[in-house]
Amino acid sequence: MNRFDLLNKIQNILKDNLVICNIGLPSQELYKINDQPNFFYMLGSMGLSSSIGLGLSLSQNKHVISIDGDGSVLMNMNTLATIGNRAPSNYTLLIIDNGSYGSTGDQRTFTDENTSLKDVALGAGCKKVIECSGEETLNELSKAIEDKNNSYVIISKINSGNVKIDPIPLNPITIRDRFRKFIGIVKYL
Amino acid sequence: MKISKKIIDNLKKGGVDFYLSVPCKLLANMIDILEKDKEVYYSAVPREEEGMGICAGAYLGNKFPCIMMQNTGIGNSVNAIVSLLQLYQMPVVFLISYRGTPGEPVGAQGGMAKITEDILQTLRIPLLHCTSENDLEKISTFSKHAKVVESPVAILCDFNLMKDDK
Repeated sequence: MNRFDLLNKIQNILKDNLVICNIGLPSQELYKINDQPNFFYMLGSMGLSSSIGLGLSLSQNKHVISIDGDGSVLMNMNTLATIGNRAPSNYTLLIIDNGSYGSTGDQRTFTDENTSLKDVALGAGCKKVIECSGEETLNELSKAIEDKNNSYVIISKINSGNVKIDPIPLNPITIRDRFRKFIGIVKYL
Repeated sequence: MKISKKIIDNLKKGGVDFYLSVPCKLLANMIDILEKDKEVYYSAVPREEEGMGICAGAYLGNKFPCIMMQNTGIGNSVNAIVSLLQLYQMPVVFLISYRGTPGEPVGAQGGMAKITEDILQTLRIPLLHCTSENDLEKISTFSKHAKVVESPVAILCDFNLMKDDK
């Protein structure tokens, strides 16, 4: 199972939640599979999907899923400490860990060598940390959303590999405004 | 405490209701005030760039965020400012202790001080430079301006303005 297969498998659960999606191929694949106004596609700021989702979950009550990658979490690892100390129960960080920098040509990341993001997350203070296969991810994600008392970090171990895909045609303000309209903030659209 | 209280009062008057900080000695009183304030959200964060991401999320969730940091934090955050806050036009207030300005005892702070305003100008970030207590009154209007123009804005507070705020 690669990222595209995984996103396909979990799309029904994603469409019922607020989703912050990592820059590059993850966002492009998600857009292609089933674009939704409650998907916030990152067009820059690699590494910050986890942080944007955290800020969003602290600011309103709907459940937030941050879709991140192993390369991006390695870039902003301090965020796991903030999540471990501050994340509310309406927050789930889904790390799609394929051991490679998919958007830049599948160069290996350190999770393909010695680094365990599960161990890092636990050490950073995250209480509910699940490492699972791509096949198990849908079930683990459902359980995380149903649990109203805890936030979760789910590390989905999948294969590297991408599908050929176009950039997202939406401009950033469109992404911003339709997302905030879905939450009920923007009234003018 | 008087200066710090005035800054927070003016930020709140400007509508800011979500605060993060990466600490600085000059921000310590403001952090104390915010930790006790039940009307607003406050948390420490380990790194400024991450704070920019959390502020972006808070804005999406209808908060008006502020990140407090040293001017060194701007250097840590340039890409997040440009390719997140500015790209999606998100109002965020940067409350910056301007280390390395006259009165600063640590010589090594001078390097970032020399280029801080140049960086902010290069980024086209509206800037309020507070050098005396009278300037602090401008903070509420300046914060509201961030929402009007849908942009991050920066408030620089000089070392000498903050240093005796016991």
